[in-house]
Amino acid sequence: MKRCIIIGKPNAGKTLFTLNFAAYLGTTPLHVAFRQDNTTNWKTYRLDEAVQQLTSSKPHHTLGLQELIVTLPARKGAKRIQLIDTCGLVEGIPAEQDIRRAMAATLAAVRDAHLILHIIDASRVKAAGTVEALGEVDYQVAQFGQLRDGYLILANKIDLPEAKEGLDIIAREFAAHQVIPISALYQQGFKAVKQFVQRHI
Amino acid sequence: MGDWLHSLHHDEVLRFLCEGKLSTADALRLLRQTQPAGAAAKDKAAPPTTNPDALRQALAELNLLVGLQEVKGLVREILAFVEIQNRRRQEGLNTEPTVLHMIFKGNPGTGKTTVARILGKILHEMAVLPKGHLVEVERADLVGEYIGHTALKTREQVRKALGGILFIDEAYSLARGGEKDFGKEAIDTLVKAMEDHKNQFILILAGYRLEMEWFLQTNPGLRSRFPIHIDFVDYTLDELLQIAELFVAERQYKLSPGAKTKLLRILQKKVSDSEGNFGNARLVRNLLEKAIRQQAVRLVSLTRPTREELMLITAQDLEGRETL
Repeated sequence: MKRCIIIGKPNAGKTLFTLNFAAYLGTTPLHVAFRQDNTTNWKTYRLDEAVQQLTSSKPHHTLGLQELIVTLPARKGAKRIQLIDTCGLVEGIPAEQDIRRAMAATLAAVRDAHLILHIIDASRVKAAGTVEALGEVDYQVAQFGQLRDGYLILANKIDLPEAKEGLDIIAREFAAHQVIPISALYQQGFKAVKQFVQRHI
Repeated sequence: MGDWLHSLHHDEVLRFLCEGKLSTADALRLLRQTQPAGAAAKDKAAPPTTNPDALRQALAELNLLVGLQEVKGLVREILAFVEIQNRRRQEGLNTEPTVLHMIFKGNPGTGKTTVARILGKILHEMAVLPKGHLVEVERADLVGEYIGHTALKTREQVRKALGGILFIDEAYSLARGGEKDFGKEAIDTLVKAMEDHKNQFILILAGYRLEMEWFLQTNPGLRSRFPIHIDFVDYTLDELLQIAELFVAERQYKLSPGAKTKLLRILQKKVSDSEGNFGNARLVRNLLEKAIRQQAVRLVSLTRPTREELMLITAQDLEGRETL
């Protein structure tokens, strides 16, 4: 089974995207596997429960890997892929051991993934000094992505008015990569993401 | 970052990150630079990074194709052109824009799709195309059902092909059906996309020779946009036999002398029956795939077939296939 990892800065909307995208693909209910420190716990949610319990407006709500298996229609029948939601990547060296450990787990998963969906918060691209702002980590992820079967940038929060300018910046900064504007909250742009994933599995 | 860091193993990079000795960006950079060959995505078709080996491999793949001398020559011409334009650019000389849209003319089974696919790989390795994948479509994928639908569908296919090759099989069918047909809209959208996404994808229109000629005549604007025309001639009987032998050898089978004669007779009959307009290489493949199944039926009743028997395809296995 191909592994599709969702990475990006904290609070970029990775978890919300993962849950809503799984739901968009017709996955219901959501069986989420939580992997942290060599243990795995399974839990089943309805979409609204999952969104309520697993997402937050504060950074670093996700501190382990959260995996979901989704089914995509393929040329012959259907294909199952694993969506892996991860802990946000921060610039520099974070002070908290928990976050460092979670990020190491994220990078280990990135290393083994076939597809990388890189989420950038388009509304905060220029918000220098905040965790969401565009930074070195994003550029490194983009370079890393080139080594994979598929690498896609999702410019998230496009429903916000500030995102317009951010999208332009992202498109300019990552001109060599495909960028799809999405709203994880309102499931906008998901069709294009689905087609991209289908093409690369 | 000290140089010694580059000798770190992946697990050590992750441990250092965990222990707060490395920043996230540095860890990512190290993971990328120390990427063990074919580490994660083992099952990917071609590595995306440009490397001379992959180029050589793709070229070898092309050369291994039986016949197609004209095609191979043209591909070499294109490669030389791209290479020289690159060097001229490095020297600051004026360069010709590299327009590489193509028309492939030939009967079914003459290798048009195969060549397009290999071409994608080669151009990818030469850094002409960022991805080099092949998106293969036909009329039904482009033409919609109501006004405006066609442009939408066509643009979607172009978008999928960005960075690679859009291959339209039986392209002349876009012009059939007269003025009111939506095929016309598809052509217009494609022409516009060729302008909008210059150098971002290569468009290949493929189809029967005569139909394609007619297609280009009815759309005079098209011809000038496709600088490269490649004729795929039908394979000769000799070449078809070579293809057959390659096909079985790849699968570790052998044709007995009787089977070869038999195959030649079947092919001869096909050629004379259909005035050269038949399945070509595809027919050979179908015949042999049937023969391999037939051989299995023949052997399955034997208690202990020898290694030789397991490999050999006899005339009997091809028997009765003439009605195909």
